[in-house]
Amino acid sequence: MRIMNPRLIRAVATAAALSFTVAACSPGPSQPAPAAPAAPTQAEADAIAAGTLSALAPANLAKVRPKAPFDVTSNWFIDVSQDPKAWHFFLPPYPKLTAAAQKEFDASKKYEAEGKVYKDDIGQCWPAGLPLIMTRYWPMAMVQIPTAIYMISGFMNSVRIIYLDGRKHTDLDVVVRTYNGESIGEWQGNELVVDTIGFRGDHHWMDQDGAAIPAGEKLHIVERFRMVNEGKQLEIEYTMTDPDNWEGEWKSTKRFNRVVDVDIQEVSCLPDLNQHLQSTTSKTQVFQ
Amino acid sequence: MKKVLLSALMAVALVAPALAHHSPAAFDRTKKVTLVGTVKEFRWQNPHTWIEVEVPDEKDKSKIVVWGVELTSPTYLIRAGWKSNIIKPGDKVTVVVNPVRSGEPSGIFVSMTLPDGRELLERPARLGTPESK
Repeated sequence: MRIMNPRLIRAVATAAALSFTVAACSPGPSQPAPAAPAAPTQAEADAIAAGTLSALAPANLAKVRPKAPFDVTSNWFIDVSQDPKAWHFFLPPYPKLTAAAQKEFDASKKYEAEGKVYKDDIGQCWPAGLPLIMTRYWPMAMVQIPTAIYMISGFMNSVRIIYLDGRKHTDLDVVVRTYNGESIGEWQGNELVVDTIGFRGDHHWMDQDGAAIPAGEKLHIVERFRMVNEGKQLEIEYTMTDPDNWEGEWKSTKRFNRVVDVDIQEVSCLPDLNQHLQSTTSKTQVFQ
Repeated sequence: MKKVLLSALMAVALVAPALAHHSPAAFDRTKKVTLVGTVKEFRWQNPHTWIEVEVPDEKDKSKIVVWGVELTSPTYLIRAGWKSNIIKPGDKVTVVVNPVRSGEPSGIFVSMTLPDGRELLERPARLGTPESK
């Protein structure tokens, strides 16, 4: 009689246990099959026909899609460890500005040299808008679901939504222009490519602090999201065009650190805020 | 140690906006003004906490000048030991600020000495990096 090797006995026992576990987890003849997605409701069917199905509609969420390469769900904060000025968007290489934008830029430099602040609309409670909202010195909460990414900035709780459900941009003659624009995302390989248009072009700036470059209605931003450094950092490569304000493409790459020990809070630019922040109303401010 | 901490804070302050909702360029970061006075009001709120301090006028001590002091968000003040009731109206405090360039009675916070002698600073607004821990 042969005596089995103890290591072989352990291996056989492990395999048996694994096969039992797999069998227990698999839908066998006696197990009910997973429930198929419920058929769209009449309201959802109507919305599908009209092309207005919400990103949060059960029928949209239940649609079979390829698995996303990564999930951005987290709190993020602009990384300035390599460059203290990284929170600025306007860093070299500079694009060639149009005459109108150059006039604003020169004015901001002139007033900066005089110790003044030129057209600081964010300080007057106007939204920072894209792209600047991404690099404010506040954490940004991102929540990813199959159909969209919802971003809420800790700065004024500015909301940005990136739709991932295959929709196209809204016609520009009906879109409601906003400071964060309309963002449509598409997974390409291991990257998320986000296309944003539909911006408001008033009180909207590409940067702050002596770098007044207007962001106009023709602003078009393409972002390439990548998860890097073993998921500790999110990298976004920006390619931005706005023929009314600069020539060609303006590129900038930002990294954001994953933050696990802070949550965003309710933050509002309340009517009485600036009454108690004298710097926003002081003689240093130049509004025209 | 306090001097070291303050120097480190200033180094960051020179390049970081300290979670301001407005441009920090209005403040002269090369100057410091020490305010010895009485707390008029302390508002613990986002995006900025602020303090109003009643300070005797330098030229006419019978007159009171109300200085506005702007601070960062409570999120970061908590990490530097602040609480919503750490000061109240009537408290005697010494506050150091970088003044606004226009000469108006306003500044951005650098440090504060409480009635019991404790010194409070802000915390550099960096998150997700080793120095933020």
